[in-house]
Amino acid sequence: MPYVLWFEEGGKEALRLVGGKNGSLGELIKAGIPVPPGFSVTTEAYLEFIGGGIKGEIERILSDLDPQDVSSLERKSSQIRDLFSQTPLPERIVDEIGTNYKRLSEMFKVSDVPVAVRSSATAEDLPTASFAGQQDTFLWVHGIEDVLEKVKLCMASLFGPRAIAYRSKMGFPHEKVLISVGVQKMVNAKCAGVMFTLNPLNGDPSKVVIEGSWGLGETVVSGMVNPDKFVVDKVVYDIDERTISTKTVQCVYEPGKGVIHCEVSEDQKKSPCLEEKEIIELVKIAKKIENYYGCPQDIEWAIDRDTPFPSNIFILQSRPETVWSQKEKGPLLGKKTAYELLMEKALSPIRIGR
Amino acid sequence: MAERKGFPMPLEVEYPKELEGWEEMYPPHYLFSEERREWEEKHFWYHDKIHAPDPMYPLDLIFHEAWQIALSQYTTRVFCIPPAQGVAQRMVGCYMYITPVAPPSQELMKEKAELFQKRVFYVFDHYDALWGLWLKKFRALGEEMANIKVPSELPKFEPDDTVFPEPRGYYTSYEVIDAWDRLVNAMIKGWQYHFQYLNLAYLAYLLFADTCRKLFPGISESTIGKLVAGAYVQMFRPEEELCRLARLAAAVPEVARIIKSDLSPEEKIENLKKTGEGRNWLVEYEKAKDPWFYVSCGSGWFHYEGSWINKLEVPFGYLKSYVERVEKGERIERDLAGIDKQRAELVEEYRKLIKTDEDRKSFDDTYKAVRTIYKYAEDHLFWVEHWFHTIWFEKVREFGSLLVKYGMLKEIDDIYLFNRFEVPIILEDLVTTWALGEGVPSRASYWQAKAEKRKKILEAAKKWTPIPALGTPPEEVSEPFTVMLWGITTEKVNEWLKGVTVVPTEVTEIKGFAASAGVAEGKVRVVKLLEEITQVEPGEILVCPTTNPAWAPVFTKIKASVTDIGGLTSHAAIVCREYGIPSVTGTGIATSVLKTGDIVQVDGNTGIVKILKRA
Repeated sequence: MPYVLWFEEGGKEALRLVGGKNGSLGELIKAGIPVPPGFSVTTEAYLEFIGGGIKGEIERILSDLDPQDVSSLERKSSQIRDLFSQTPLPERIVDEIGTNYKRLSEMFKVSDVPVAVRSSATAEDLPTASFAGQQDTFLWVHGIEDVLEKVKLCMASLFGPRAIAYRSKMGFPHEKVLISVGVQKMVNAKCAGVMFTLNPLNGDPSKVVIEGSWGLGETVVSGMVNPDKFVVDKVVYDIDERTISTKTVQCVYEPGKGVIHCEVSEDQKKSPCLEEKEIIELVKIAKKIENYYGCPQDIEWAIDRDTPFPSNIFILQSRPETVWSQKEKGPLLGKKTAYELLMEKALSPIRIGR
Repeated sequence: MAERKGFPMPLEVEYPKELEGWEEMYPPHYLFSEERREWEEKHFWYHDKIHAPDPMYPLDLIFHEAWQIALSQYTTRVFCIPPAQGVAQRMVGCYMYITPVAPPSQELMKEKAELFQKRVFYVFDHYDALWGLWLKKFRALGEEMANIKVPSELPKFEPDDTVFPEPRGYYTSYEVIDAWDRLVNAMIKGWQYHFQYLNLAYLAYLLFADTCRKLFPGISESTIGKLVAGAYVQMFRPEEELCRLARLAAAVPEVARIIKSDLSPEEKIENLKKTGEGRNWLVEYEKAKDPWFYVSCGSGWFHYEGSWINKLEVPFGYLKSYVERVEKGERIERDLAGIDKQRAELVEEYRKLIKTDEDRKSFDDTYKAVRTIYKYAEDHLFWVEHWFHTIWFEKVREFGSLLVKYGMLKEIDDIYLFNRFEVPIILEDLVTTWALGEGVPSRASYWQAKAEKRKKILEAAKKWTPIPALGTPPEEVSEPFTVMLWGITTEKVNEWLKGVTVVPTEVTEIKGFAASAGVAEGKVRVVKLLEEITQVEPGEILVCPTTNPAWAPVFTKIKASVTDIGGLTSHAAIVCREYGIPSVTGTGIATSVLKTGDIVQVDGNTGIVKILKRA
């Protein structure tokens, strides 16, 4: 079993190895969607790592867990985190990650390509992601040492306080949940955000709703800014609605300081973060993803600063839309013929004046 | 008393003193009146800029008299559309205002519903066959009108053949009176036919629009329009015939040379007659002329617009530029198959987005209904407003000539200064005088003075800017014609309310319907009067009260259009979509806010017109 799989090598058939998030990136690549390149550190690597000795230690720490005791949960979680951080990864895994990180860097002709390191839990036999717990994301990670450190921290996120409490309450064995970690080329986001392949306000399946703001997408996801909003018709590509908000804060990477929040420049605050052609391109991609999965999607996207249009558009993640998709889907028109609908219309009162 | 919200009440309107006497030009029931005040004030009267952007010549009012009756009766008495009533008209200083009549009581709605169901479903089920019958009937009526014999003179003595072998018993005096009555009756009847299926066509459209909105809550009106619009529409036939004739001409150098020359149309025809090739082309030309050149140069609503058939310089002008374009290898025809295919693809894409089979079935069902009957809305236009009206104008001209010949009026078109109830009085004065014998005076100077005075009033009315609406704004507008044709919606009324107090020079943005997608920037050309259409330069943005399909060739040179009035199925919207030009309709105020030379951006996706630079 491999310790590392490139995203395109692991789609939904490899979920057990690469976890949900990475598997979904693999699927997107197969569907021809532009995804920043990268690889998964597999659950096999995780098993190898904890099997190397810390497994027993983890079991010991969690043996007398009281899910009601918040401060004890916090303490135990932090102990495990330290344990992960202090234990070196087995050499075979370090080599594998090192070789592939180098390969990724070479693709961009740099020595240490900046990457995002994210946890990707295997939730295939689990009802919700709550089992897996808080999954961590580290942005703008440079150099192999830092990559290895963040990979371990992502693995440790399996033992966040809420996750362990939940599993223990549900009687689900901690050793049954596994984690994979994604290492992905960082997009130097000019702007980023989310989009839905239906209108989340009314369930209209003929629209793509895009929300975006300057810089990294975190400000949009966390609700830190009022994003710009575009409602676009999927069929005729008309932009039916555009709301340009005042975007005060952005999340950017600053060398030496890491990812920071900073003020948006005056001239950008009130300007749309996306150009018309970028909007249309995003919609085309959204339609492609929805078609591939066959159900409405909730998609994270980013526009790269350094690449020319249209190759500057990247999809970071896609998951099924949950709100409207889970609603009971009866026919909206009540199984009526044109004549029944016509009678209904003809009998509805029309109010004019008072 | 209704709550006041900003528009004046009808009887409070103040008229410039130059308009004094305007009321007498129109029938008394067209005036706001004290005895109907309460009812009138409860309604919302808006200036009908689609049919009456200019001051109304009294005789041109006949079309409106006819449609007020016909449109309304089909809704209230024939097809009995339960929640709707008719559309009423009034004149306000030579401009026509209309209102959807308040809906009927619940009890009446129930009574109407039964008849509605029985009658409307029948029409929907049999529409294709019914359309064939309609066209046959309507063309027969047009022929009948064309065959009305208007005496061109009042003879000194009736000829022998009216006496032998049996004296005919009626003579020229009766023929004049009878011909006018028959002409008027044919026009009234033609408009009864006009609405035979139109209300139902609009209703089917609204039903389909409703279905679309339930399935796709955010679908735009312009998209619904695109799904329904047909490519093979009879209104486009005149232009298609021109394309055909242009291709034929371009194929024969000798014919092409004559068509492209600067000769007058009559001279061109004379020259063509001289060669076999020219004569061959003329055979095709004659075939196209009747009925397809019976198309108004404008909307068909005004006598002064003229039709191709009597303004040959118009079709020949188009022919010249088409031949030149064909020679350059350009495509002049609309891509009908392409338009049709594109529509089918759009429908299929939306259809695929529908989640359940049941909904897909309902969608298919309503779509089939609207595609069946909506054709009527697109096809009747040529036959009624263009072909039939052209025949009317030709006949009225014959009466005008007769009146000028005997000194009752100074100019032929002065007949239009009298309404259809007054014209027979003048005719009666004429034939009475003739019958009475030698040396008997008529009241010619009285009629001529009246004509002079009315001309002045109409001139003054042109300079007067009437307010967009009167009376009580409605909370909700949904009478089918009001919404579909005039584009009056609840939001629109609110925009207008804002517009009443607005200073035109302070406006930076105008809102209307996103009627045809796309964005364009350019120089504004305001065309308030229909005859100004020739001033439009290539690449300009046409800003007008409303447009119509007979302006089609203009749409090949403009970048975008903006209108004051018109919904998504208004003529402007349809033509712009056909030509792929951005269009914003129903802005209410575009012609009063924008000036020729202003630079604007027209966004046909959002319905917003931004003023970038003032001239």
